[in-house]
Amino acid sequence: MFKNFFLSELKYSLKQPMVYIFLGLMTLFTFGATVSDNIQIGGSIGNVYKNAPYIITIYTTIMTLFGLLIAAAFYNNAALRDYNNNFNEILFSTPLSKPGYFFGRFFAALVLSTIPMLGVFLGVIIGSTLAPIFGWVGADRFGSFYLETFVNNYFLFILPNMFFAGTIIFAMANKWKSTVISFVGTLIIIIGYIISGNLISDIDSETIAALTDTFGIRAYTLYAKYYTPIEKNTLTPGFSGLLILNRIVWIATGAVILLSSYFSFSFQEKNKKIKAVKEDKKELKQLFTRPELSPKYTRKTEWKQFKSFFLINFLSIVKSVTFKLLFLFSAIILISNLVGGFEYFGLQSYPLTYKLIDTISNAAGIFVIIILVFFSGELIWRDRESKINEVIDATPHTSLISLSAKALSLVSITVVLHAFFIFCGVIYQLANGFTRIELDVYFIDFMLTSFLTYIVWSGVMIMIQVIINNKYIGYFVSIMVIFVWGLMLSIFDVESNMLFIGGGPSLMYSDMNAFGPSLKAGLWFNAYWVLGSFICLLIAGALWNRGAVSSLKERISTAKKQIPKSYRLIIIGTISCWIAVAGFVFYNTQVLNSYKTSEENEQVSADYEKKYKKHENSANPKITDLKYFIDLFPYERNVTVKATMTLVNESETTIDSIHYTTIGSNWETEIKIPNAVLVLNDTDLDYRIYKLTKPLKPAEKIEVEINTQYNSEGFQNGMENTGIINNGSFLNNFEILPALGYQSRKELNDKNTRKKYDLKPKDRMPKLETDCSENCMKNYLTNGASDFINVETTISTAGDQIAIAPGSLLKKWDENGRNYYHYKVDHPSQNFYSFMSAKYEVKSRKWQGIDIEVYYDAKHPQNVEMMLDAVERSLAYYTKNFGPYMHKQCRIIEFPRYATFAQAFPGTMPYSEAIGFVINLEDEEENNVVDAVIAHEVAHQWWAHQVVGAEMQGATMFSESFSEYSSLMTMKSISKTPMKMREFVKYNHDRYLRGRGSEIDKELPLYKVENQSYIHYGKGSVVLYALQDYIGEEKVNTAMKSFLEAYKYQKPPYPTSLDFMKQLEPQVPDSLKYVINDWFKEITLYDNKMKKASYKKLENGNYQVIMEIESKKLLADSLGNETPMKLNDWIDLGAFSDSDEEHLIFEKRVKIDKSEMKFTFEINEVPAKLAIDPRHLLIDRIYGDNIKTAKELLPEN
Amino acid sequence: MHKLIINSLTKTYSNGVKALDNVSLEIENGMFGLLGPNGAGKSSLMRTLATLQEADSGTATLNDIDILNQPKELRKNLGYLPQEFGVYPRITAEQLLNHMAVLKGITNSRERKELVKYLLDKVNLYDKRNKNVKGFSGGMKQRVGIAQALIGNPNLIIVDEPTAGLDPGERNRFYNLLSEVGKDVIVILSTHIVDDIRELCTKMAIMNEGQIVFQGNPQNAIDELNGKVYQRIVTREELDDFATNYAIISNKMVGGQPLIHVFSDTNPENGFELVKPNLEDVFFSKINTSNALV
Repeated sequence: MFKNFFLSELKYSLKQPMVYIFLGLMTLFTFGATVSDNIQIGGSIGNVYKNAPYIITIYTTIMTLFGLLIAAAFYNNAALRDYNNNFNEILFSTPLSKPGYFFGRFFAALVLSTIPMLGVFLGVIIGSTLAPIFGWVGADRFGSFYLETFVNNYFLFILPNMFFAGTIIFAMANKWKSTVISFVGTLIIIIGYIISGNLISDIDSETIAALTDTFGIRAYTLYAKYYTPIEKNTLTPGFSGLLILNRIVWIATGAVILLSSYFSFSFQEKNKKIKAVKEDKKELKQLFTRPELSPKYTRKTEWKQFKSFFLINFLSIVKSVTFKLLFLFSAIILISNLVGGFEYFGLQSYPLTYKLIDTISNAAGIFVIIILVFFSGELIWRDRESKINEVIDATPHTSLISLSAKALSLVSITVVLHAFFIFCGVIYQLANGFTRIELDVYFIDFMLTSFLTYIVWSGVMIMIQVIINNKYIGYFVSIMVIFVWGLMLSIFDVESNMLFIGGGPSLMYSDMNAFGPSLKAGLWFNAYWVLGSFICLLIAGALWNRGAVSSLKERISTAKKQIPKSYRLIIIGTISCWIAVAGFVFYNTQVLNSYKTSEENEQVSADYEKKYKKHENSANPKITDLKYFIDLFPYERNVTVKATMTLVNESETTIDSIHYTTIGSNWETEIKIPNAVLVLNDTDLDYRIYKLTKPLKPAEKIEVEINTQYNSEGFQNGMENTGIINNGSFLNNFEILPALGYQSRKELNDKNTRKKYDLKPKDRMPKLETDCSENCMKNYLTNGASDFINVETTISTAGDQIAIAPGSLLKKWDENGRNYYHYKVDHPSQNFYSFMSAKYEVKSRKWQGIDIEVYYDAKHPQNVEMMLDAVERSLAYYTKNFGPYMHKQCRIIEFPRYATFAQAFPGTMPYSEAIGFVINLEDEEENNVVDAVIAHEVAHQWWAHQVVGAEMQGATMFSESFSEYSSLMTMKSISKTPMKMREFVKYNHDRYLRGRGSEIDKELPLYKVENQSYIHYGKGSVVLYALQDYIGEEKVNTAMKSFLEAYKYQKPPYPTSLDFMKQLEPQVPDSLKYVINDWFKEITLYDNKMKKASYKKLENGNYQVIMEIESKKLLADSLGNETPMKLNDWIDLGAFSDSDEEHLIFEKRVKIDKSEMKFTFEINEVPAKLAIDPRHLLIDRIYGDNIKTAKELLPEN
Repeated sequence: MHKLIINSLTKTYSNGVKALDNVSLEIENGMFGLLGPNGAGKSSLMRTLATLQEADSGTATLNDIDILNQPKELRKNLGYLPQEFGVYPRITAEQLLNHMAVLKGITNSRERKELVKYLLDKVNLYDKRNKNVKGFSGGMKQRVGIAQALIGNPNLIIVDEPTAGLDPGERNRFYNLLSEVGKDVIVILSTHIVDDIRELCTKMAIMNEGQIVFQGNPQNAIDELNGKVYQRIVTREELDDFATNYAIISNKMVGGQPLIHVFSDTNPENGFELVKPNLEDVFFSKINTSNALV
């Protein structure tokens, strides 16, 4: 019986086109992703093959999400076909077996729903075969296939996911016998998936998130999170670890659901509930007379008709089950988003209004789209589906009235939903004790962004439904328009927001700068789109199918005949307004402020390199002194810069021309060089060459004056320049002045992009050289244009703002209602600084003659005092351990959240409002990430600003790694327990291990780091932290200090990492010399494991702990290939008294020279857990198995 | 006195079916019955008159309103109950009628309220006015449909197969109501139920295959057939023979035996007996011109 049902279901469905259509779609999707870089699912970059097992697995897991729809279709069919065909009563009255029917149908649907998923494999296989043949993608981007990849993916993801989804859908379909409910089941599964994703807010909750993910996607990402490129290319997910645990959990859950559904399933029709008929209240018979009627057909009537239509439609949506469900789901998503709070490295940010706005638009986004698509169809088809259309159509109302009422009810629904979200947001803020609730910001943001989107899409979708005149094709076209239109534009490299439906520059609210510079553009784009939406409605109103169904052609001819003059005038009027607005927007975004698309920019970079690379090594004079006169006009968003620079020929040859790379067409640039003629002015590629009529001999000087000007005009297509804004301007020196010579940083980096433009792959950085002289003349910050220079600035800004430039403030005055400041850098510094201006509050403190100042926005006073503490603590540690601070001031300056970083310039440190200023530190007593960032930036005043690396591999080690290390040391100085530091260092471990997994070129050892952030921040800090633990803090500091003293503020040649290694080596005892090689000069990983942890009570009252450990040391190459190394290392063993691992009661560093060893120690407390490397000093991809709960061994009798 | 003049109305569907073939009619106040078999083009004519469908050629005017070119004006004077009348879900009878009244220009809310109550009472649904109309039985829904067709002051009321699904009591009530309002306005009643026409209409037309095959007074039509309709009970085997030999109007089963009516100016003998013709004979004689068995 099972076999019968199973086979007949299969046969039936295999004869239907659906399974092949889905299979085709899946194949097409993955094929597209494989052969093109424009379609990205998961994505493969750099060294990861486009058909790597990892990539195939990512495709499979993600596609099983879409596969849900497929599952819904097949399971729903299997469960409901007999009901839908009214065949059930006939079928169920035959003597068939219940398990045969139930499971036969279920498993047939399971098999069927997995078939289309095989398209993922097909797509990759076909794509990988065809792409190299047709030259779409180079053959070097593809590796070999492994049969195992396909088999394991099928059994790990496709089958279990389709099974689990199926159990829910099948159960619900059998229970409620409704297709809609089956799709609701699908929605529930998706919601569950999203919610489990919201659980990831920190590293610590990754495991929970991985286990609760019904699809296993996050389990796999966690499983493979530290995969190196080589592992991504070769490793197939296996039946092990968290992954198999996750699969077992969900298969078991599915089985339970399936069985309970089976036991509640019955062939008999349930007796429909018959409601007890309520006796209608007999009312007293009233006498009604037909009133005298006075029908009127005026404007007022139309308004009343509009209201009545609106109410009828609005209520119908609100009362519908679908809306209630969507409402509920979106609320659940929002709430689950909010529950995690706004996490930032273990801290919580204040629930600022703009944070809630972001959360709301994330939660609302997908649901509003679903609502708009679904209900646009429902509303348009409502009359016809209710069969009331003829009656309504035969009443004297204008079609436009009814259509616009439908559109308005659609928009209103989304408004209601959004208002509810805002309400939740406000409640959340209040519940967290946050009272700075900006209802106006909520409102304005809603009006400018979401509301616009809703209006535009309502109009567009109503028009689609009316023109297509078939509900389901209408849905399909709507969805295509949403997803495919934007993709098409990207493929054709179109970036104009006038073509992306509902497009416009994204608005980002900042506490400092409100809605920012794109507000004006936003308003104009809004007008453009709202008018466009009206036009859609008017067209729909004219072509509305009133009365009998007729073709589009017939409707057009009817419209031509019947549309009254007034309506034509409205259409013409609206279109004229729209054209006027469109023209204005076009003029502003394409003519006044033209822009380059990303492909055009690539082309420019490629041309620049091809044309001017030859000048890279020609001698240029160097800047020695710079005087700025800068006028900032924050409210007009204009800047004028005058700079006089002294150039000196420090080379040994005569220089006959000066090359400049200018800063782009938005800036007017005038360069005045005495005795020089402009011989080349390439405005497309921003390159100029001035020929000196009197060549510059070695050691000769020349004074150059440069004037640049930025004037904001109109508005732009994309994000405006956020450097010069109303409140919080932030301009770097290289943004306002042309750069001397050829700038290699403008070149394309990605090897695949370079290939597209016929450029050979380039080295990220020159190779590290020993004893270099010639190649160490440039440092990596200033590209050889200058060394340590004198900078003086006169800067003016609006009367209510403070302007800040590097150095000490010498003078301050008012002139013409503007504020003027004169700054001078106290000590020659790098040509690397910024100019800022805003309405600042200032808090300062004096420490050993240094002014510590925090410039902050009046809305963010909370953490300022703690920031001053952090600066002071850092200065104290660094001056004591490394040497004096060279400036008279140390400033932290807040800037708006358009960027989220902190940066160190001489004596000044811009710090984004999004980090630090808005983090809730009220309950933080010990070190935290806000302090850490400050300590890091202050450390740069030594590491980068006093000593800076040659433009060569390893350079960032002694700027970034040293700063991060310094920061950790200030953290350590106030840590109460050693375990608190482990909490901190884990982020650095994670950063490194994750980073190497997404390395696009090659991983390098620390001393050869090529400006790779995961290495210089992540690995560098971990290694240095471990080093100070192994050889002692003062030894490391001594090495750093002597290195600093040898090179600080020195003229070139600049030092390399090898120069530091020379200082370090004497500090390392012979027994630990291996550490320098393993940690700095190689890529070394440890794989430590506590195999057995036990203890027993001794008669003396002490405890004997027994640890059986396993240890491996692995040497990795640049792609991640590992080779085991001989072990002869010192590693810590330790014991915790608590299971939370907070109290380390015992620690001993032991020599490990075999891969499996056993140790016993005597301690005087009961151990809860035993650990190898208890403080997580060594780089270990799986740290979790280093610690094990200790088992008590009972004394043998 | 209102006057509806239809002149040479023609409509051919894109699939080639000629729904209206040169239809011309003149209709004045009172009940006008439109009789015809399924697919005769009745609904097409009704829809065209209700401005829900375009005609290829011809004209239709109600008083001085050009129906095909001034649909909005016509709609102001129209009460329409289509063949299939459905209702919105999640709405009460009162809300629905109220909405319809607004659409028909009853903007004064007091007038509207009274009108809705009056009509609900007329169709015997006053007690159920706050009930979800989607949950009504077929007959109750039809009554709501009737109520909505009477909203406003229509000069032209078109009801297409209105009594389908009504029980005899409801049907009577409906016709009483209809003839009450039909005194002063034009009511076009389309149906394939011959009895309805006989009971209600003073004027009628019979449609077949898009054409008007008869128009006039029902009684006159019956009188014309007087003395020319004969009937006889035959056996099943004989049926085909009779069909070829006589001008057969209709055949139906009576007590398990076929009973045939034939048209003949003289007594055909052969066991036939003369019967008093009824409207059904008129109907069949007009549409069954090929004298085929059904």
